[in-house]
Amino acid sequence: MPAQLTLTVNGAEQTTTVDPNTPLLFVLRNELKLTGPKMGCGMAQCGACAVLLDGEEIRTCITPVSYAAGKQVITIEGLPAVWAAQKPLSASEAAVTLHPVQQAWIDEQVPQCGYCQSGMMIAAVELLSKNPNPTIAQIKDAFTNKPPSPHLCRCGTYAAIIDAVQRAARAMKGAER
Amino acid sequence: MNSKMDQRETAVFAATISRRGFVKTGGALLVSLAFPVRFTGKTEAAENPTSIDPTLLASWLEIRSDNTIVARTGRAETGVGITGYYAQTIAEELNVRPETITLVMGDTDRTPDGGYSAGFLTGMSNVRKVAAYTYIALLGLAAAQLGVSVSSLTVTDGVVSDGGKKISYGELVQGQHLELKIPVKGELAKPDPARWVGMSSLDGLTVEGDPPMKAVKDFRVIGTSFPAGHIPDKVTGKTQWSCDLTLPGMLHARMVRPATLGSTLVSAGTIDTTTFPTAQLIQKGNLLAVVSPNEWEALQAALSVASTTRWTEWSGLPGSENVTEAIRGSKWQKPSGSRGKAAETTAALQAATKKISAAYEQGYVRHAPIGPFLAVADVKNDGRATVWTHSAQSQGLRARIAYLLGVPVEKVVVRWMDQSGQYGRTTLGGDGAEADAAILSQLTGKPVRVQWTLQEDMAWSSVSPAWVSDVTAALDAKGHIVALHSAQYSPHMFDPRPLGALLAGMPTATSKPGNWVATEWAYDKIENRLEDVYGMPNLGADSASGGLRGNIMRTPGQRQQNFALEGLINEAAAIAGADPIEYRLAHTTDERLINLLHATAKAANWDTRSSPHRGARRTGNITVKGHGVCAMIRENAYWVAIAEISVVPNSGQVQVMKFTIGGEPGKIINPRQLDRCMKSGVVMGLSEALKEEVTFDKSKVTSTNWSRYKILTMEEMPEIQVVQLSRDDKGFGGGSEAANAIVPPAVTAAFFDATGVHARRIPLTPERVLALLRTGGKSS
Repeated sequence: MPAQLTLTVNGAEQTTTVDPNTPLLFVLRNELKLTGPKMGCGMAQCGACAVLLDGEEIRTCITPVSYAAGKQVITIEGLPAVWAAQKPLSASEAAVTLHPVQQAWIDEQVPQCGYCQSGMMIAAVELLSKNPNPTIAQIKDAFTNKPPSPHLCRCGTYAAIIDAVQRAARAMKGAER
Repeated sequence: MNSKMDQRETAVFAATISRRGFVKTGGALLVSLAFPVRFTGKTEAAENPTSIDPTLLASWLEIRSDNTIVARTGRAETGVGITGYYAQTIAEELNVRPETITLVMGDTDRTPDGGYSAGFLTGMSNVRKVAAYTYIALLGLAAAQLGVSVSSLTVTDGVVSDGGKKISYGELVQGQHLELKIPVKGELAKPDPARWVGMSSLDGLTVEGDPPMKAVKDFRVIGTSFPAGHIPDKVTGKTQWSCDLTLPGMLHARMVRPATLGSTLVSAGTIDTTTFPTAQLIQKGNLLAVVSPNEWEALQAALSVASTTRWTEWSGLPGSENVTEAIRGSKWQKPSGSRGKAAETTAALQAATKKISAAYEQGYVRHAPIGPFLAVADVKNDGRATVWTHSAQSQGLRARIAYLLGVPVEKVVVRWMDQSGQYGRTTLGGDGAEADAAILSQLTGKPVRVQWTLQEDMAWSSVSPAWVSDVTAALDAKGHIVALHSAQYSPHMFDPRPLGALLAGMPTATSKPGNWVATEWAYDKIENRLEDVYGMPNLGADSASGGLRGNIMRTPGQRQQNFALEGLINEAAAIAGADPIEYRLAHTTDERLINLLHATAKAANWDTRSSPHRGARRTGNITVKGHGVCAMIRENAYWVAIAEISVVPNSGQVQVMKFTIGGEPGKIINPRQLDRCMKSGVVMGLSEALKEEVTFDKSKVTSTNWSRYKILTMEEMPEIQVVQLSRDDKGFGGGSEAANAIVPPAVTAAFFDATGVHARRIPLTPERVLALLRTGGKSS
């Protein structure tokens, strides 16, 4: 039965009336029009649908929307604001500044088809929040062995992702005040 | 048009174009502000479904008075960076900054040419010529405007100057409506039962003539790492992907697929309208689907319907564990493709005192996109249809959709949008969710969005067929190859018929069971060679769904044929006691291959010696190491790969420690994009070499998720070193495709170096490696 649920998504409170079992992914994409997270495997095996929930990566394809009620959801659309608050940036600076992870993804020309990259950036943001200066081995470990599954890229952009995570790490470190 | 204008245009054409005889002076020269078609919304596509006139330059390129440029190509960004390459190429010929160029890609109603997105060389040639024609015309306009001769003009960043007076391209076209006709050849795709793929003209239109183009030595934009235009919006979430499209009244659909590849419908399940009040069951033939305005409801109701739907039993597959034996046991007729000297090669092999032969093989593999296929279609009562897709062959798809709906192709518009990569799966204009969407839209009278599930994608999409190959070589006294014959047997890879049409029993353009010789010959010193390729119908071809529909996949044909060819060359080198790179150098006079072999070997710090390594072992718990090499030529590009691996014989674990890849594609257009494509190609190739195989029982595919169809993870990726050689005297080569194909032969060569056992089948999974090391491999 549909129920009214309140979520905080990218810093804004959102109220939606849906079946509480609806996957968070469908609510984000179809109700809230946040289409950054992508439908991949539908069974938490690939990472394309990943978002941050209270700062931890989750797979929205298997997470019921009710589980996210009262928690903070961040999608790639909300990453610039996360960085602006973290640094902090003035409103005018924030308007023209991407999250360092996003900027690194552009600077390193990471996406090929790009379908998995929303999830990859989410994983990168989470990793850098816990380990601001990861080695290549630690990056590989995070993107491969962290439950529930490896983050998969069929285009094969893993090398570019490693370059970008390290570039973002340098940028975030350099930006510390 | 006033007479002064006429004179100016005549002068333009007389000065530049008619002299070369490649343009009909029909209209006027192009223009900007008054370009006749404006596109304001995706849903309006069906209102104006006719393709734009490809003979008009304005269909390809639009120089706007604000000094921006719109370029239109039927090819699309499939993830290899053409949004970068194309902008660079056009910018180079026009002498403008690439940032000023916006690309419109893939839409059949607003791009002129069609063609394969994979067809890099032909697509690039088109846009380059179009830009070159435009440049001549703009110079002519500027000369007239400034009252100087064309020869006195130079152009920098879109500003024409004779040293004193200046005028920008934007100012040149300000307020005018000018038109330039350019010569084109060919036609857009259409169904053609006589052709292998059931379609003709999939390569679309070609721009004709020979306009003067900039010399390579003068390039300023080509050769730089200009960023690909599609990336920023994908990173910020602004890109509207095809999966993001919503239309008023749109229904979400989930398909209910048959129980096996050959099952037919006995009785459809029902929808519990209490639980799923807005869901609706749709059926046509064996095509069954649930639609709903709510995606979650469609998904749940489809699962519910599936559990109560009854299908006939069917079994008509050999089982994946028997697949290569089944292919070998088929009744083979004549080759569908042959190349080389048949009589001389046969005679040389018969006369040879020393010969070697080996059989290579591989099971089915698949494209396996991260995003299962998806499409949206809106079919109107009067037959007009619009399909939103990420097909890499929009015009071909358009023709297939028109054919299945039974309407003239002019009634159908295909709009391209970004979506998950597909690696060749849609190159022939079929195999996706588009037919499902079009049929469901026709039946419901509403726009329908069809999202396949991963299980569905992996069970029902087309596949890269299994194959076996027999290779025989005659050796001289030094152990060099003097004659070589290869025979490759495989179900065909030309069946991209849309699943939805097959299941619904609607018309499809039938393909034929042939394959072709795809290799390009790198070893000119082996004069007597004969390559035969045999094709057969799909396994399970007689079933309602067409069985395991064979389709092309990244570096098609050559990926498989090169594995066998390079495999045998590595075996011959071992028999000759020669270093495998030295052995290759001894068989070619091709300077490009020789240079790249040397450069890649140097970068990899190659240890020159014969294989196997003197410490090679096939038993024990201690890690053994080996190196291996492979070479290939494709689309005017040269490739060399060097793999360094370790093997633990008693566990069967193979690890690639380092991979060095060398590429020489003529003039490198964009070093960073090429670097990305080379590294990512290595990842895909390693995935195929070590992990991938489609499994199936006698009735259905069983490798239907990522834990059953495993692909390489980040942790399994070795250090990858890239060597790029660019040269100015060999034109352009294809850089985005071949890297995957050179990986497996290098890995199996390294495996032999480490263990002394030839691995003639991939993937090198622990189970297969253990079996291989136990038996020592098949004798040759």
